Amino acid sequence: MFNFLDMSIFPTVFFIVLAISALSSIIFLNPNTPISYIRIHIGFIALPPIVALLALFSNGGRIIMGPFHFDSLSWLLAFFVLTISLIVQRYCIQYLHGDKAYRKYFTLLTLTTIVDSVAWFSNDLRLLLFCWGATLLGLTLLISLKREWQVARNAAKTCSRLFTLSWGLLTLAIVWLAEVTNHWQLTDVLTTSSLAQLESWEQTGITLLFVVAVVIPAAQWPFQRWLLDSVVAPTPISAVMHAGIVNAGGIILTLFAPLFVGSPVQILLFIFSSISVLIGTGIMLVQVDYKRQLVGSTIAQMGFMLIQCALGAYLAAIIHAVLHGLFKSTLFLQAGSVLDHHQSKVYTKKPLPFVWIFTGSVLALLVGIGFWLTSPEEGYQLVSAFMLGWSVFLAWIQLVAFGLGKIGRIFGLLVFVGGGIIYLYIHQLLHHALKDMIPKIQSPSIGAILIIFILLLASVIGIWLVRNRLSNLYTVIYLWLVRFGEPHEDGIESHPSYLKQLISQGGK
Amino acid sequence: MNTTVVKELNLEGNESNVDFHIDDLVNAASKVIVPLGPITSFAARNPWAGLEEQSFEQVARRLKETNGVEIYPSDEVLKSAWKQGEIKQEFVEMKLHQWLDLQTIDLPHDEAFQFCQAALLQNKTSFNSPSKTDLESVMKEILQYNFNIPQNHYVQTYSERLGKMDGNKVNQVVNGQMIKWCKLYLDESQAVWSMPNREKGFYAAWKKLVPNDPSINRTIRKELKELPMEADQALMAALLGLQIPYTEIQQYLEAHLLALPGWAGMMLWRSQQSNKEENLLTEFLAVRICMEYAFIKPYLPLPEFQDDGEELLQSLIISWTNWGNMPIDTWLSLSLKEIEARLTLAYRFDQMVRNRILLEAWEQTYEAQLMNIIGASSHRITENLKQPLAQFAFCIDVRSEPFRRKLEEAGPFETFGTAGFFGLPIETCELGQKHSHPSLPILFKPQIKVNECASEQDLKTYQERQQSVNLLNYSFKTLKNSLPSSLLLPEITGPWYSLQTIARSFFPRSTGMISRKLRKNWLRKPSTELTLQQVQTNKTELPIGFSEEEQVLYARQALNMMGLTENFAPLVVICGHGSHSTNNPYASALDCGACGGASSGFNARVLATLCNLPEVRKALNEEGISIPNETVFAAAEHITTTDELQWLYVPHLSEKAQEALDFIGTTLPKVSEQAVAERFVKLPNLKANHKNLNAQAQRLGEDWSEVRPEWGLARNATFIIGNRELTKNRHLDGRAFLHSYDWQKDPNGSILENIIAGPTTVTQWINLQYYASTVAPHYYGSGNKTTQTVTAGIGVMQGNASDLLSGLPWQSVMKSDQELYHEPLRLLVVIEAPTEYVQRLLDRNQSFHQKLKNGWIRLASIDPEGHWESWTV
Repeated sequence: MFNFLDMSIFPTVFFIVLAISALSSIIFLNPNTPISYIRIHIGFIALPPIVALLALFSNGGRIIMGPFHFDSLSWLLAFFVLTISLIVQRYCIQYLHGDKAYRKYFTLLTLTTIVDSVAWFSNDLRLLLFCWGATLLGLTLLISLKREWQVARNAAKTCSRLFTLSWGLLTLAIVWLAEVTNHWQLTDVLTTSSLAQLESWEQTGITLLFVVAVVIPAAQWPFQRWLLDSVVAPTPISAVMHAGIVNAGGIILTLFAPLFVGSPVQILLFIFSSISVLIGTGIMLVQVDYKRQLVGSTIAQMGFMLIQCALGAYLAAIIHAVLHGLFKSTLFLQAGSVLDHHQSKVYTKKPLPFVWIFTGSVLALLVGIGFWLTSPEEGYQLVSAFMLGWSVFLAWIQLVAFGLGKIGRIFGLLVFVGGGIIYLYIHQLLHHALKDMIPKIQSPSIGAILIIFILLLASVIGIWLVRNRLSNLYTVIYLWLVRFGEPHEDGIESHPSYLKQLISQGGK
Repeated sequence: MNTTVVKELNLEGNESNVDFHIDDLVNAASKVIVPLGPITSFAARNPWAGLEEQSFEQVARRLKETNGVEIYPSDEVLKSAWKQGEIKQEFVEMKLHQWLDLQTIDLPHDEAFQFCQAALLQNKTSFNSPSKTDLESVMKEILQYNFNIPQNHYVQTYSERLGKMDGNKVNQVVNGQMIKWCKLYLDESQAVWSMPNREKGFYAAWKKLVPNDPSINRTIRKELKELPMEADQALMAALLGLQIPYTEIQQYLEAHLLALPGWAGMMLWRSQQSNKEENLLTEFLAVRICMEYAFIKPYLPLPEFQDDGEELLQSLIISWTNWGNMPIDTWLSLSLKEIEARLTLAYRFDQMVRNRILLEAWEQTYEAQLMNIIGASSHRITENLKQPLAQFAFCIDVRSEPFRRKLEEAGPFETFGTAGFFGLPIETCELGQKHSHPSLPILFKPQIKVNECASEQDLKTYQERQQSVNLLNYSFKTLKNSLPSSLLLPEITGPWYSLQTIARSFFPRSTGMISRKLRKNWLRKPSTELTLQQVQTNKTELPIGFSEEEQVLYARQALNMMGLTENFAPLVVICGHGSHSTNNPYASALDCGACGGASSGFNARVLATLCNLPEVRKALNEEGISIPNETVFAAAEHITTTDELQWLYVPHLSEKAQEALDFIGTTLPKVSEQAVAERFVKLPNLKANHKNLNAQAQRLGEDWSEVRPEWGLARNATFIIGNRELTKNRHLDGRAFLHSYDWQKDPNGSILENIIAGPTTVTQWINLQYYASTVAPHYYGSGNKTTQTVTAGIGVMQGNASDLLSGLPWQSVMKSDQELYHEPLRLLVVIEAPTEYVQRLLDRNQSFHQKLKNGWIRLASIDPEGHWESWTV
């Protein structure tokens, strides 16, 4: 379809449209630009994701141009980040209308997401560091745009402290790595010969720095504070944060995957991420604020992504990161709908005959085993198969078995099958697009079995606890989870008094 | 629980036994807050409903002192109204004269007037602020005289006082703790792991949990472990421990309730819902004050707050330099009496009084404008439509006014205004639902239940279809709540969500409309009947349906209230109203306020059906209301977001009624378009083109990113009770509630009394809620929509956590962060009736009289000769 010459056109075109987007966002900052210009701006920023998508589909292998490298992974990530940016900015047109910092939101959103996407194109590690640092800075600035509001300022402070730590550690790790290997280009650093120069303690040290640097933006325990306190940010900013920023850890680990081969730090990552999965899920279960439930869920999902990385399943981690981003940004954007009073809440529960449980279990087993057999050699496949089987069972019971009458069951069955087909299709698609770009690292099945064991054990304990709500153990765990999910006391203001000040300042 | 607590109390130093109920004190204290129901049935409440015994200014002073909340518009708001000419100078001067006349100050009237006027208009007479040394010498001189400036003393919570003294955070910590415990206890969103022991009540559950709470430090936890079993005893013990004098207990409780009025209000609301939780507010205060006591113990006793008034004195002196054209050294040459007079004037004429005068002048200016608009019709058009083709009854809602105007312009139509629940005290239950909604103003209790029903077969199919849709949500929840599947959930649903997100972002209108349509087509709601005939039920439940007498009673009452008792058109349309918006937790705030925050379509349908019953018509005929056979009642719903009229119930029509219906069908699109055009320009919008406005209005209702789907009742300012001829063809700018009333048909004043008791209270509450949300957006409003989070399935908080917010969001009263949309004016009730009628009303209805006297509402009347009389004091 495309020959090589066409291929090298994509990067050029892409950077041109990125530059136009950035320029457009700066033009909008000028108070003389009419507000209605924002529609034109949305038109401009729609171009980069389209170019990225075309480049992704044309699949031209890896190109290296100057400090940049272009491959299907970086195109996918650019497409993803810039699409989120486009959707969120489109949303902000109406949503933030009348906000004092209206123009600044668009400029910052555009620039932050642009540098974020360029970070994943960087082959030169110095450029990567710069872009990633700029992304974190942009995010902090976005949170602090409501600077009249004390709690927003406090949240921004918390973020900037943790982000600085994270970025500093990453810089340290990369400088160390460059010192030892004598290269600044990612492709040169990760060659077998370069990596061979690393002493074992050096590898441990560098990977340890990497791991701590990436678990901070992924809001993993014990660094979850910034994500919990930044619920103060306007909804669309939270959407960008939860979709495009928190998953950077998974991307960075994927980019540096060869470095981690045989590093004992993987075990550490595995342990901390597992704890985060449990805490995050727990927060989601005990919290009653909708946005805070979403935060809990993000912590757990990012923990899972990092577990996938620890198990060497980088491809699965990237797919998870991308789909989770789309999922979570939608949930944030429609956070106002949780109380839809027009929707009926009627739900007839009926006793479930054994035959439905039986068919569900058989189906779940078949799907699980079938999925596992597609590539049994990969250790991680076992985890996927297990979770898939589990979900099939629950979905079967909920959608089909609980359906009322023929109509209900047929409808449920259609959704069940349709959902399954789409799931497999999308996975196939992403798998196909990325499989050559992401290093395959064989991991022992022991990790996979361990994680299945943890999931099962946690589920069993969870069920026991729910049935023994009055036990002391429940009380203790419940209160700890509440505590983990609550904001810091500096992040709470009983009444948003800054609004009163706004009226006093304005009053035109 | 309800035991009398006898405790030794420290009564102003004397040890004495006082015998009292703590519950009574809690009850009395609860007047400072109002019950707050769940946001899904957002009903407007006047936040000061329990304080109307005091004057507006007294309440304002108290709230400012105790909570720093100002309920007069701020200087800047008033200044901008002044600049825009909405406050006329003549009224400012008039109000100022009135105020000065009430003061007994030994100062020439002119001098006092000039000082006050300069202060009001912020016209500085001197720009040289006095030098520090001059000021000090004058201060020294004056301080010798030991003037006693009377200062009110308001009780504050200890934690608040401590915070003010040395910036201690106990107050913040106690608030944070309370927010946490309240939301966990009140949760209705069914968190999978709910708070243990909730069933035993708030205090009991909290007491059981708090000794294990890792967010509280160990010593305090230990302290809390030792609390009494019963809430009232714990509350008493804590008050005793804090050494609150008996005489101040009520005020102390009030101060605590006002710290988080939203959560306290929700507790109060819940306590009114069932006997099981009737002491919930006492429990709330027990938890709060016990916690305060435990946290504050190390700092006790608090030093008394000392204020020698020096600062105040200084500001008074400076104000004379600024506004009184009085150089600083003049003070030294004044006599003691002259000094005292000047200081007293400056003290009394403080910011609160200045703002009050400006607000009253603003209100007076509006009244004058309204008088002009209505008065211009002195030769009232009495070309009463001899034979209207159709008659429409609309809700009093301000959004009906422009629509009615456009409708009347479009054809031989007559319109009426009446409260949107149409006088029906009903609880409604839609087909296939378990939940029923009290569809009447929140100040009344439902007496009859009306169900929507269908044949068994139809119902079954409908339920199957409903269940299938609901199962999608439940499956999502089930997968989410189970750990292994929750981790896979984003991958399963991510693609679907992305599709939806992209569609909603780039095709908001069509996506919204298509999904609504798909849902409707899939559900296939069958045609339904209403249970209007009484069905035998057991005594404890509400009776279902109306008895025969009730059918006649409510039909007659509704027709009487709207003044439609003769000259019936072939088609009478009863119009309810509802709003469409997407992704909006405040959706129900845009629905009918007289129906408890829901669409009034159901009530419209009930009334129309009642009026078509042959038995009812026969009985009405005997009572002098004869409805011709060819007249048919139908019901419709006015969709306020798009200004469309949707038919809800059209029975078999007579020939003439059919003609009317057809004609309405052809004129409605034009009416909608014109009504939308009038409204649309007021909404802040990027697209300034006026093409295809209907589509743009639909977009407002369907767009998930829209924070202002419509303006709702913003800018409401007046409630006009009178014949439509009074206001017909008058452009009232969507600011007026309109109730039809003909005093000639109401010789004994009972209809007017009903209008004042029901609809006027509803409109006053709506008005004051908008007022409060505008003047104190952080305290009485709901804050910024963009930073809200829904909590516990019952309401919203700001940011990370806050009070449960009660009023309207920022975006519903503000055009932008800097520009007001709603004008904070207290409701002006205008009654078209002879003076005796109004006087009789005030004599009979003490509570209305009190509202008027204390400045919670304003009143004017227009007598049959067209004279305008202002009753506002």
